[in-house]
Amino acid sequence: MNDPILRIRKYERDRVNFVLENVDMAFANSLRRVMMADLPTVAIDIVEIQANTTVLPDEFISHRLGMIPLVSSNCDVAMRYTRDCNCFENCAFCSIILVLNVKCHDSTTMDVTSNHLEVVPHEDQGMEEAGEEQVKRIEKFGSPVGKNEPGVEPILICKIRKGQELKLKCIVKKGIAKEHAKWSPCSAVSFEYDPHNKLRHTSYWFETDERAEWPLGENAAEEEAPREGEPFDFNAKPSKFYFDVETDGSLGAQEVVMKVRIIVSFLSF
Amino acid sequence: MPDSERSKRQPTFDTLEREKLFKFPPKQGSSYKILNEFVAPHIESFNALFDDSGLPSGDGKGKGLLSLGLDDMGERVIFDGTGQTAGTWGNRMRIWIESVSISRPMVPDKNKYVKDRKVFPAEARERLASYRGKMSIKLCWTDPQGQRQDVTRDCGLVPIMVRSVRCNLRSMSSADMVKHHEEAEEFGGYFVINGNERLIRYLILPRRNHVISLLRPSFTNRGPSYTQYAVQIRCVRPDQTSCTNTLHYLSNGSAMFRFSWRKQEYVIPIMLILKALVGASDKEIFEGIMMQDYDNTFLTGRVELLLRSYKQFTMRTGEQALEYLGDKFRVVLGMADDMSNSAIGALLIRKLILVHIENPREKYRMLLFMLRKLYSVVNGTCCADNPDSPQHQEVLLPGQLYGMIIKERLEEILNSIRTFINIDIRNGNTVDFNDKRYFAKVLTRINFDIGSKLSNFLATGNLVSPSGLDLQQASGFTIVAEKLNWQRYISHFRCIHRGAFFAELKTTTVRKLLPEAWGFLCPVHTPDGSPCGLLNHLARTCRIVTAPLAVAHIPALLAKHGMSEPFNACIDGRTNLCVQLDGHVIGWATPAVARQLATSLRIWKTEGKNEIPMDLEIGMVPPSMGGQYPGLFLFSSRSRMMRPVKYLANGRDDSIGPFEQVYMDIACTPEEIESEVSTHVEHNPTNFLSILANLTPFSDFNQSPRNIYQCQMGKQTMGTPSTALKHRTDNKLYRLQSGQSPVVRPALHNTYAMDAFPNGTNAIVALRKSGEPTLHFGLGPEIKPHAKGEKRDSCLDFLDLDGLPYIGTKLRSGDPIAAYVDDVTRRTKFVKYKGDEEALVDEVRLLGEDTGDVELQKIHITLRITRSPVIGDKFSSRHGQKGVCSQKWPAVDMPFSESGMQPDVIINPHAFPSRMTIGMLVESMAGKAGAMHGLAQDATPFKAVEAAGYNYYGNEPMYSGITGEEFAADIYLGVVYYQRLRHMVLDKFQVRTTGPVDPVTRQPVKGRKRAGGIRFGEMERDALIAHGTSYLLQDRLMNCSDYSTAWDISLGEVFTGTSISRKPTGPGGEYCRICRAAAEQEDELERQALATGQHLQRPQASLSVAISSQNVLGRSLKGGDLDVVAVPYVFRYLCAELASMGIAVSLEIQ
Repeated sequence: MNDPILRIRKYERDRVNFVLENVDMAFANSLRRVMMADLPTVAIDIVEIQANTTVLPDEFISHRLGMIPLVSSNCDVAMRYTRDCNCFENCAFCSIILVLNVKCHDSTTMDVTSNHLEVVPHEDQGMEEAGEEQVKRIEKFGSPVGKNEPGVEPILICKIRKGQELKLKCIVKKGIAKEHAKWSPCSAVSFEYDPHNKLRHTSYWFETDERAEWPLGENAAEEEAPREGEPFDFNAKPSKFYFDVETDGSLGAQEVVMKVRIIVSFLSF
Repeated sequence: MPDSERSKRQPTFDTLEREKLFKFPPKQGSSYKILNEFVAPHIESFNALFDDSGLPSGDGKGKGLLSLGLDDMGERVIFDGTGQTAGTWGNRMRIWIESVSISRPMVPDKNKYVKDRKVFPAEARERLASYRGKMSIKLCWTDPQGQRQDVTRDCGLVPIMVRSVRCNLRSMSSADMVKHHEEAEEFGGYFVINGNERLIRYLILPRRNHVISLLRPSFTNRGPSYTQYAVQIRCVRPDQTSCTNTLHYLSNGSAMFRFSWRKQEYVIPIMLILKALVGASDKEIFEGIMMQDYDNTFLTGRVELLLRSYKQFTMRTGEQALEYLGDKFRVVLGMADDMSNSAIGALLIRKLILVHIENPREKYRMLLFMLRKLYSVVNGTCCADNPDSPQHQEVLLPGQLYGMIIKERLEEILNSIRTFINIDIRNGNTVDFNDKRYFAKVLTRINFDIGSKLSNFLATGNLVSPSGLDLQQASGFTIVAEKLNWQRYISHFRCIHRGAFFAELKTTTVRKLLPEAWGFLCPVHTPDGSPCGLLNHLARTCRIVTAPLAVAHIPALLAKHGMSEPFNACIDGRTNLCVQLDGHVIGWATPAVARQLATSLRIWKTEGKNEIPMDLEIGMVPPSMGGQYPGLFLFSSRSRMMRPVKYLANGRDDSIGPFEQVYMDIACTPEEIESEVSTHVEHNPTNFLSILANLTPFSDFNQSPRNIYQCQMGKQTMGTPSTALKHRTDNKLYRLQSGQSPVVRPALHNTYAMDAFPNGTNAIVALRKSGEPTLHFGLGPEIKPHAKGEKRDSCLDFLDLDGLPYIGTKLRSGDPIAAYVDDVTRRTKFVKYKGDEEALVDEVRLLGEDTGDVELQKIHITLRITRSPVIGDKFSSRHGQKGVCSQKWPAVDMPFSESGMQPDVIINPHAFPSRMTIGMLVESMAGKAGAMHGLAQDATPFKAVEAAGYNYYGNEPMYSGITGEEFAADIYLGVVYYQRLRHMVLDKFQVRTTGPVDPVTRQPVKGRKRAGGIRFGEMERDALIAHGTSYLLQDRLMNCSDYSTAWDISLGEVFTGTSISRKPTGPGGEYCRICRAAAEQEDELERQALATGQHLQRPQASLSVAISSQNVLGRSLKGGDLDVVAVPYVFRYLCAELASMGIAVSLEIQ
């Protein structure tokens, strides 16, 4: 088999569309599964609530906080898993601390959003010398995705009215989506092969005319349509896969692609 | 789709509109007016009790039912027995109740701290108190000089219906309601009793003031010569209390009149009443019944027999008949001693015979009509009426029942005053009518507390009544308005019960869905199982008339248009039909004229002419061969069901009732109108469905039972019960944290504020074969608040210094919830949390007393238990398709479509062919289209499915999440609104290895709460035997149940073959008392036999049972001569029981 080819068709900040050729289906699907569930990111894992006079109960707010995407670039080297770290509970190497302290003084309803989450330095920072992990972190590491960026709507956590207060401390940890979906960097991964159904893996149900009732997708242009009366090659295997990866911003499409490339080059030996 | 077209589409999500209403509830009126309309019968019937009800006054003077009841009650007369000569009764005293008043709920005067004395329902709910107002009566009496005296007595606190005229929330706007901690959409109609919301359920009663003919074989058991024929009329007094009169046909041609008084039945020959009423001559009666139909020999024969049968009484005048009646009923009625017999006779007639009519002459006419109808049923010229048909039914309204109870209680007060005075006279105590103090002393002995009686009635639903109130049941009148979710809550106010009596009937005829019920009772919304068909729900547009109507001018108006007057003596009964208004004979008319009159009345009432009220029911029953008894029957009374339709003759809105509907031709849609046939057309083809049935999307595509199931499941859904959750104290409250508005919804969804209380989520559903319906939820709330790691054990981790828990504290089983100092022992006591699940403290309430002068007596703690979906929880779509979540999968393993879409639910296509819920398929397609285009889809039944935005079939190729391979078949993906039902495994699972046992049998106890076992009964045992699983059988019935061991003495020889000692002992010296005694006795006997040389006789056991040798566990390891044998403990118990009866059991091991 030839070397795998990865061809990027469209690339945006949080979205990438690419074609992967010359690989097995098992490989392509593993890739999909890795992207969805095995790329480590950071997310809020423990919430210590100091004051909550909002209408939402503590555990409900905690749940919402957990699902806020945090900037996790270079997470695999910039952060340790708490379980691998030799600290007692958590430390600057394996956790980040975010705080939120909002109180409403106006008579209008106030939105508490992800923009109110602030990264604070770890209490025991400086006790040890800075490890290599911290050096590899980018500036915004661990802060909510798109915080204070123009044109990016912050994520709503809850709404408070005059006199209500929300004060809490979040401990951010590294993890993968196999443990909890909040650690998944992808919001959706689309995956397709054989747009003309030449391999006959599926059978299209139709009433009168298969071609009229089943419109071709845009990936169909990438492959040659079957000729009329072409014999069925039952030994053929799919080798061209069309991906469209949309991330929640915690990793960014570029990084996902980088990791995909690393994995591809690693596995193709 | 262009924006203009988008905005025109109906229904829409109305998100902004709803949010605006929620944030800024209207300062005038309420946000959803229709919600106030559908409970109107509850509230207005309650308002009708009072003089200031705000209802139109109709023909009366606008008096409330309580005042009318007082009028009807009259006065009681007592004599003090101090008469000087025989034959006089002494000083006379009259007592009566002049007025009743019920005030709004207020803080009692004892409380000196409160600024605003008004009490609001939210306080009653939160304090687990009742929402009650003070009731007082003005009791009057006369002293021997005839001077009127009065005293005002307190009758306790009476529960007040929320939002009625006596409620402090009356006519509040939504904004004010929110200020008073109520729902913005609060509509009232219930009572608050001990913090629970309870309401009086509608009950079906026979239609008032209308004669129905009955054919009941059981009537023949009433006595000799009784037949199965009778006519019956339920007469209603102006105060809405009723009295049922029945006229039985006897095989000798005459008729007996039956009524009941204080639960006792009385029967009087009809002739006696006819004579007593107007002193009619025989000829007058003959002519009145015959009505010139002299050729009818059947009728002449019967009337002749009727008249002859009266000869035995030898009373000729009306006065004589009255005196006779008065004489017979003097003791029963218990009236004043100085009343003459004829006055008592007249009272009997006024109080018990055709009570809806005042005038004796009119009563007489009505009785003649009843006789004519009775003879016609016997003759077969008309058929028996069906009492199960809504045509002959009306509704018992909550306020009316409440008024009846109050009236009866007041009557009891008067009666008991009289009884007490009479007892004093009989016992020779000083009775001085001149002395006010004596009367006051009598009053102290009377129980005036009507309030507690009513509270008890509402809390239990049990009716304690000496007369039975002319009702067929004595319990089950009230229900709790459970706020499980909005759908269940609003259904309570629309449900209508047939009566507890019918639930026990073995026949199912009463449960039948009759065509007469169309438009009044929903055919879909009834539970399945035992209350099926008895517990119905009103159709969406069905109203109940609660206001009295002004109809006094109608008889004159009809007479002007060709009706003959009722007093006309030369009416031919063969060619004339009776015209009745509310059970009064108001005239006669030929069928043609009657039909003309009916049409005119309908045109007048729809066009508002001649002051004919809209709610007048015009029942024109045409003459037929053996059909319903003909006539023109007009009804203007209250508690009738009515519904709006369009009258085709003039295109106006009409209001029709179930009596007249039978003789109408109502087209369901304008397309169905047949000229010359149709008289009316429905405003909307779905109006015959209840609110809930209307909310099932595309229900016209479903198999009918599935819609019935959905009506039940909609009511079991975990949703949003309330928006004022902070102020609710329900025992159990289920709340869905992330409810959604359904994409596919009927237009009525918005009308009934369903989006204010969301009930489920729009789930992406794939139809695919993979076992049972599977639900997948990607994200569970698995984040731990307060996760500190170390174990908390000090009570200060949970409780503040005041002994109350911190809000938000996480509790596990056994943790303290609250602490208090016991005044007696001076020690701190803890209240522990007993549940098995982790709970969070949500709210702590300190509850004080009414008077406000003592320290807090109660604390009330709300706990919050989070329940993310787990395997085994029950879910359903809105089409009666329920299922249990059988597996949860990680996102990567779920199949996905080319666009990366993963289903939330995978449902097996086998769920469809047998259940035929095509509506669900249509919903999923419409939902998919709606979700793709961002539109709400109309799912109103009987509306053509719009093609807009439809994909072709909606199928998509799918890929396995595990291998990435495309599935062999394309798969349908759609969006369906799913509800989570309240049945959750965490409440149901029952596991036991060992645990508590019954002290007597040592078998496991039952009950999930007590960690008991599930009964493994005979049939289960049979199944295991059939399977040959003997080890399992042994395990279930012996080892896991009441396994016990016993010493066995006899085995040593059997197994070892060695002879053992006569007196075997166990390792600890245990021995069998009986054997030892027997052995010793035998020793003794042997010794004697040895001495005397006689033969030895051994006693025999009376019962012998064999135990399998497999049960023998062998010789005890510790030595001794006894074996150990396993026996069920109940067997020992059985032996002990037998022994107590003198039966000895001997065991033998084989």
